Formats: sequence, C-alpha cells, structure tokens
Amino acid sequence: MVHDAVTGEDIVEEVSGIVEGVFGRLAPVVTAATDVLGRPGPVRATELDALRPHVLAALGGRVVGAGFIAAPDALADQRFGFEWWTCTAGGPPAQLFISLDPASDHFLDYTRQSWFTVPRDSGRRHITGPYVDYLCTDEYTLTFTVPVRRAGVFAGVVGADVFVQEVERALLPKLRHLDGRAALINAQGRVIAANTARQATGSLVRDPDIASWWNSGAPPVRDDTTVLLRCGDAPIALLVRKR
Amino acid sequence: MHRPSTSPSARSVLFAPLEQTGRAELVARRLVDAITLGVLADGEQLPSEAELAEQFGVSTVTVREALVALRQQGLVQTKRGRGGGSFVCGPREEDDESWRARLREVSLSELRDIGDHYVAVAGAAARLAAERSSTEDIARLQLAAEDLDGAAGTAATRAERQFHLEVAAASQSPRLTHQEIQLQSERGALLWLPLGHHDPVTACTEHRAIAAAIAQADGELARKLTEQHILDTIDRLGEVHLDLLGS
Repeated sequence: MVHDAVTGEDIVEEVSGIVEGVFGRLAPVVTAATDVLGRPGPVRATELDALRPHVLAALGGRVVGAGFIAAPDALADQRFGFEWWTCTAGGPPAQLFISLDPASDHFLDYTRQSWFTVPRDSGRRHITGPYVDYLCTDEYTLTFTVPVRRAGVFAGVVGADVFVQEVERALLPKLRHLDGRAALINAQGRVIAANTARQATGSLVRDPDIASWWNSGAPPVRDDTTVLLRCGDAPIALLVRKR
Repeated sequence: MHRPSTSPSARSVLFAPLEQTGRAELVARRLVDAITLGVLADGEQLPSEAELAEQFGVSTVTVREALVALRQQGLVQTKRGRGGGSFVCGPREEDDESWRARLREVSLSELRDIGDHYVAVAGAAARLAAERSSTEDIARLQLAAEDLDGAAGTAATRAERQFHLEVAAASQSPRLTHQEIQLQSERGALLWLPLGHHDPVTACTEHRAIAAAIAQADGELARKLTEQHILDTIDRLGEVHLDLLGS
C-alpha cells in the first residue's frame, strides 16, 4: 500500500483540527456560563443548572466530560461549585459530584490544578496534560479549559476532558507514516503520542529541553537531526528526530 | 468528655524505656499517640517531668523538650502554681472512638500485609514520579508537602493522603493511582491516623524529602524514602495496636 509522504506540517494541522474541534464544542458552554454569571445581583449555585443543556450538547465527539467550574466565591451561596457531566458506557450522561466541603475527608482542592490555574493566571485557554485525572475521569487525560469572566474578573473555567488514548488513535495513522522518530509532546516535554514504543506515553523528553524552548517563544526548529514544531496556539509540539 | 482510664498494662507499654536516638521526638510521639488514641484521657494530668523522665528512661531536659512540642500542637496545657502541671487536651474530632475501635480490630499480620501492598504501590509510584515529573508536577508536590506543616487531626490525615495521591498521579500511571486511591479508601483512614507520626516535624520533613528526591529526578531515593515513610507508619500503628489491646 503506497502512502503519500506525511510531513510535520500535516501532523500539526491534524492536531490543530482536533484542538479546535474540542474548543468549538465548548464555545456555547462558555457563552452560557458568561451569561449566567453576568446576571445582575448574586449568582446562586442552583443557577448553574441553566448550563446543563449546553454541557450535555458538548459531550460526544472525543469529549468524554464537560462542564463549568467556578472560581472560589464566584457564587453567592457556596465557596466552590461546578456543573460537570460525563459520558457513561452505554448509559445517559452522569453528573459528577465531588466533595466541595474543605472540612471533608475527601475534599480535593481543585484550585491547584493546572486546568484551573493556567486560564486564571494567563487569561487564555489551555490544555492540561497528559495527566492522571484523579478528580473525574480516573484516566490518562487531556483537559481543555477556557477562562470565564464576570465584569472582567476571573470567575471560573469551562472545560472538556479527552482521553489521551483517543488522541493517540486519531493521530497514529499519520504519525506512523512520518519519516523519523516522532512524538507529540506538551509544553513540558511530556509525550502524548509517539510512533515508537521507546517513547512511552507520559514520559518526559529531557533532551532537548522543551520547557526552555517553550519559554523562548517556541520558534520552529529544523536542523539535520531534529524538527520541533508548535501546533497552533496549543501547548503541544511535534518533535521529530531523523533516523 | 472524660474517657475511662486505661489499664496498667497499656501504661507500662506506653512508658517503656526508649532507645537513645531522637529521644525528645520519640517521647513526644509516644505521648501524641497516647493522647490521640485516648490512652491518656482528655483533662488528665500527666506525671511530673521528673516522673516522666524516669519512666521513659530519659533526662528531664528531654521530657521538657517533648512537652514543648506537645504544647505547640495544642495537645497539652501547662498550668502554673498550686494544682498546676501538664494536662492532656484530647483531640477535638468526634471519630476518635472509631479509630481506636478499628485499630484494635486489625491484626498485626493484616497490618504487615497492608504495609507490603502499600509499599509496593507507593514506592513504585515515587520512582516513576521522579522520572516523569515536570516542573508543574514538582510545584504541586511541594505544595502538598507543605500542607502537613503544622496540621493536626483530620487535616493531617487529609494532607497525608493528598500528598501520596499527588505522588501517584505524578507517576503518570492511572493504574498505580487507582491502587493508591483504593488503598486509601479501604485502609487510608487507618493508615494515616493522625498519630504522633503527624507531628509537624517528622511527617512534613519526610514529605519534603520525598518531594525533593522527585524534584532531583532521583528515583531510587524517592522510592527508598517513601518505603521507609510507610514502613515507619505501619510499625507505629502496630505499636499503638498493641497498646490498645492492653486497654
């Protein structure tokens, strides 16, 4: 079977397509969340119910979980709050309940998670992971989040979960036809998918120093041994080493 | 609330002579365990410094040092003057009784088995976390390690569990993370009882050391420190279990 040669740019384009597809599914949820939070007067936790149809509509495609997560004290009647739904195998979507009581034994402080802090601090959308999402999916996950503001102040994030293995399945056909050892990595150099088993999912690429490259603005690298390309504005890059 | 006084045998175990290392800390831990588990009751007056020194086989200076640590944790109050002395301030949490019941029920052989399983999971997770932690992961681990600083009671238990959960997640292994969560939900309440182990000094120092080994990408050290941290906890649970059998 003959294939057209696959280039790094082809992969970058494919990744950007996946990324925009997920953020596209979230756009109506962002609009709805902004509307709810923008209502005059105090916003109560029960008002997040208005987001439900939009969240449920965002599920599907590669999105296995989606919803809104409030910033501390964005709601009038409770410090923490969220409206989050997940797909279930063969059943209707299920609402996620986690402990929101800081005094509870099972309380997990989500305000430390990158999917929350990066959009909060940068004001921009973000993709967290690959990481073990022990709060929700319990799986190896990428979490896409978009900041939501109320009167210009950060009020929470709208987000979607995608399993890493689904991204791998989508990208592997092209990755395998790329010449060289190729890995899709995040901004810390963590492997999302690779065309070689030697580059395990979740392992860190330490050479080259991806974090430094990223902090220097992630300029494209193309030399005799290495290709390094950023995928759109996502914190994802393609690393190819010539065989 | 005033708990029934414990039997002489529990007390003789409690006041058994100590080895020569870090004695103030050991005295403090023994007393914290005894207070946390109600071997020493809320409001009870502790023996004098001289008596404690004699019972533990340490100097009065060492006892004084241990009492300072207990006062800092709010587990002991010292009143001056006539009728003065050191008095036990029992833990405020209500589920105290259920810990004691649970720890009395468990057998030493089960404790050992839990320890073996936990060491296998948490030790492997720590090694992988050292290999695979990004700057972001390390920052989160260090935050989680600091949570234990000065924490007591259920806050300490929560901080202990959260730290080990973060290490498991940093291993990038969903399976190891599941195992960690499962061990915590089955046995975590037992495993990380807020015993003397949770004096801010020891447990927090151990967590910091594990986080530092992970930050240095030293997998073997991270594993070793984690295994030791868990085995010490298991050993001390065993000791407390034996204390409780006497009560």
